[in-house]
Amino acid sequence: MADHRGKTVFTTGEVAQICKVSQQTVIRCFDSGRLKGFRVPGSKFRRIPRDALVVFMKTNEIPLDQLESGRRRVLVVDDDPAIVEMFTDLLEPDERFEVKTAASGYEAGILTEEFRPDVILLDFKLPDINGTTVCKTIRSNPHYEHIKIIACSGVADPDEVQELLSSGADEFIRKPFVIQTVIDRVATMLKVN
Amino acid sequence: MILGQLDKLPALPAVVVRLLAVTASDESSARDVVMLIESDSALTAAILRMAKRADLGVRGEVTTVDRAVPLLGFTAVRNAVLALRIFEVLSTGDSAGTKDTSARTELWKHSLAVACASQMLAEYGKNAPMAGEAFVCGLLHDIGKLALDACLPKSYARVLDTVERSRTCICDVELDLLGLDHTAAGKRLLQRWELPQSIVECAWLHHQTPDALPSAATAPDLIRLVHLADNLVRRQKIGLSGYQHVDDLSALAGEIGVDDGAIDDVAKRLPDRMEALCEFVGLNDLDSRHLYVESLAKANAELGRTNENLAETNARLALRSAAFDALASFSEALAERDRIEDVCRAAAHSLREMIGVDTAIVFARVGSSECIRVGIASASTTQAETDILDPRDPENTALRTALSVEGAAPTIVPAAEPYQALWRRCAAAPCEQPLWALALPAGGRVIGACLFAGDAQVVGRWRSAPEECVAIATAMGLAAATAITRNDAERMADELLDVNRRFRAAQVELLRTRSLSMIGEMAAGAAHELNNPLSVISGRAQMRLAKSEDPDLSRAMQIIVEQAHSASQIVTDLMDFAKPPTPKPATLVIADLLESLLQHWQTGSSLGTDHVSVTCADPSVAAQADEQQLRAVLDAVMANAVEAMKPESARLQINSPSRASDETVRIVIEDNGCGMTPDVLEHAVDPFYSYRPAGRGRGLGLSRAHRLAEANGGKLWLESTPGVGTSVTIELPARTPSD
Repeated sequence: MADHRGKTVFTTGEVAQICKVSQQTVIRCFDSGRLKGFRVPGSKFRRIPRDALVVFMKTNEIPLDQLESGRRRVLVVDDDPAIVEMFTDLLEPDERFEVKTAASGYEAGILTEEFRPDVILLDFKLPDINGTTVCKTIRSNPHYEHIKIIACSGVADPDEVQELLSSGADEFIRKPFVIQTVIDRVATMLKVN
Repeated sequence: MILGQLDKLPALPAVVVRLLAVTASDESSARDVVMLIESDSALTAAILRMAKRADLGVRGEVTTVDRAVPLLGFTAVRNAVLALRIFEVLSTGDSAGTKDTSARTELWKHSLAVACASQMLAEYGKNAPMAGEAFVCGLLHDIGKLALDACLPKSYARVLDTVERSRTCICDVELDLLGLDHTAAGKRLLQRWELPQSIVECAWLHHQTPDALPSAATAPDLIRLVHLADNLVRRQKIGLSGYQHVDDLSALAGEIGVDDGAIDDVAKRLPDRMEALCEFVGLNDLDSRHLYVESLAKANAELGRTNENLAETNARLALRSAAFDALASFSEALAERDRIEDVCRAAAHSLREMIGVDTAIVFARVGSSECIRVGIASASTTQAETDILDPRDPENTALRTALSVEGAAPTIVPAAEPYQALWRRCAAAPCEQPLWALALPAGGRVIGACLFAGDAQVVGRWRSAPEECVAIATAMGLAAATAITRNDAERMADELLDVNRRFRAAQVELLRTRSLSMIGEMAAGAAHELNNPLSVISGRAQMRLAKSEDPDLSRAMQIIVEQAHSASQIVTDLMDFAKPPTPKPATLVIADLLESLLQHWQTGSSLGTDHVSVTCADPSVAAQADEQQLRAVLDAVMANAVEAMKPESARLQINSPSRASDETVRIVIEDNGCGMTPDVLEHAVDPFYSYRPAGRGRGLGLSRAHRLAEANGGKLWLESTPGVGTSVTIELPARTPSD
């Protein structure tokens, strides 16, 4: 099955594949205006943007599985390479996850844009900006609304934890942790089995 | 110089020389004397006047010298003439006006009296033949005084003055002021006049006691005679001799064979004998009666003066002695460490005794605190009292103002109104007599006063004795000032000590807080730094564990995971201890809290229901504390207790004796465990201190509990007896500070 995760614009054939319907049905829906899209300039080829497809699928109660199938993207943010390495070693072999890592808040910002992670494992104490600021920045962008954030720290000051959660973190996990717990949490959040 | 002056005195008139010669010669007759007198018209007139006076009751007038001489008696005439002429000689040397003539007259009167007395005494004793000579000797015995007076009238006036005042021997004064006494001066003059040796010796030696006469003396009997006569006349107080002392007349009389009766007789007849002579010589108009009265009056006056002086001195001495007694009793009553009010009380007591009043109050103001301290001594109570006036008391202010306007001179004055108010307040009896105040000075200021009530007469005695008042007030002021200074110094020392103590406590607390906050920062840093590697260790071990099929490896991995987490927990505990989370106080009903905790403990430990008892004196008592933290405190204390006890005999009592009205809530947890030695007890709440073998328990339990109790505004302390058990008391605020 083709990987549609990176795509932002789909052909009618691809849409038919994703929605598990015939190409004719897709064309009919496109032409009737129920599936929003555009034609390629200078030709009659129809093209459907990702957002329009999602809206269409949700309207017609078509499961989004096919559109989002494949590995979930996990961004690990920690300045300690040993931690980063451990998470990579832990998550990479798991077919459900694709892992990228960042060692600073700045790097985390760039990768959030590029990699479009589904979940961020965020160390609270970063060399440049702290976890709270990272949370706030991500949450200030509506496009990243769906991104889950799991904050981690070696110090569990109740006030700091509370601040993290109110800044947009979904979960707090104290270091050191039971790794199975962490994986379970991530899976639960991303509704993957 | 004086001798030169003496030499300038006029020579004896011829008539005197001749008369003396006539007297000395046995062959001379009345006729010679008559002729001598007739050769001098003034003498003739004087003799006739004398005869006329003696002739009272005799018919016819005595108009000629040759009739007068037999009438008067040859010796009498001779004596009169001698006296007159010699007196005249020395009078001419007078520089008129410098000295009143009365002193000189008195000197002459003495000489005349001694002359008469000598003659009369000679007539009584074995020395009758020398009676005439005795007269001359007596007459001239004090010639030195007259001579000195004639030469140096001013100086001699001073001599007489000094003698009068000091009542010392005139010879000493003469020697002292003039360098020459009258005996030496007399000897010199008489030698110059070429008079017989016996006369010279009498003038020279008449002050010597008979046994001290030089053996070379040519006429010792005459000298003794004159000496006796001199003493007799002094006793009779006739004239001025400049000599007060009177020797034992009887003894002197015995020396020359005269008995006591003779002395008395002479004394009685002496004025009579002098009368005629004095008139002749022109010494006033003395008659014998007058002379008597005068001498008596003089003696009386002198006695009176002496008495008066004595009485005055006595009164003064009585006051002085009373003041001295008061000072003595005051200084005796003072003790080294006396408070100011005690000094005041002692002063009041002494003053009360001294002045003789019922009640005395002494007060003094205390420098820095401006309190007024009062000491009261009263006759009604044997125990003297003290009182202290608060600086805020308006009476105190009035007193201080009154003190500041008081002059510093300590004299007894009527008491000002603020003093009257103090009296009304402190003295048991109302004041019916006038109230007096005596200021107590110290260092040029008035620091207090003594108050007493007494009638003006009693107090007046003391008002007229300013020296004594000054002495006693100054002494008391000084004592009070010393006490004040000492009091201030002691108070300052106490304050300094207190400040020092608080400073040290603050320093210790600061050090503790600083070290704790340093530990906190270090622990926080360590938590971040350590927890990453620990996470990796633990994480890697877990990953390895998940894949392992080798049970030994799995077990090793399991241990690694556990120990990593345990290490991480140590850091967390340390951080919690050093920097506990800010408490979130809530109202916690102790009875409920203990009940829920008890259930928790009993499920989590080996303690059965019968091992634990919980008592709450007041089930409604509630503390203000962070529930989680208070639970942690109680947990830690419980855990400690359980570990100390043997499970089979464990007995744990949890007791809250507090009432709803108390400011604080106490929870006491007593175990019957092994207890702690003082050494262990001392370190029981120190972090990482554990009396258990090393490696077992981290020893943060009680320190954390202690720390959390403090963080919640409470306290935690331990009492322990080894072998008996330990009691931990947790005290918490019952109300929030704003309640």
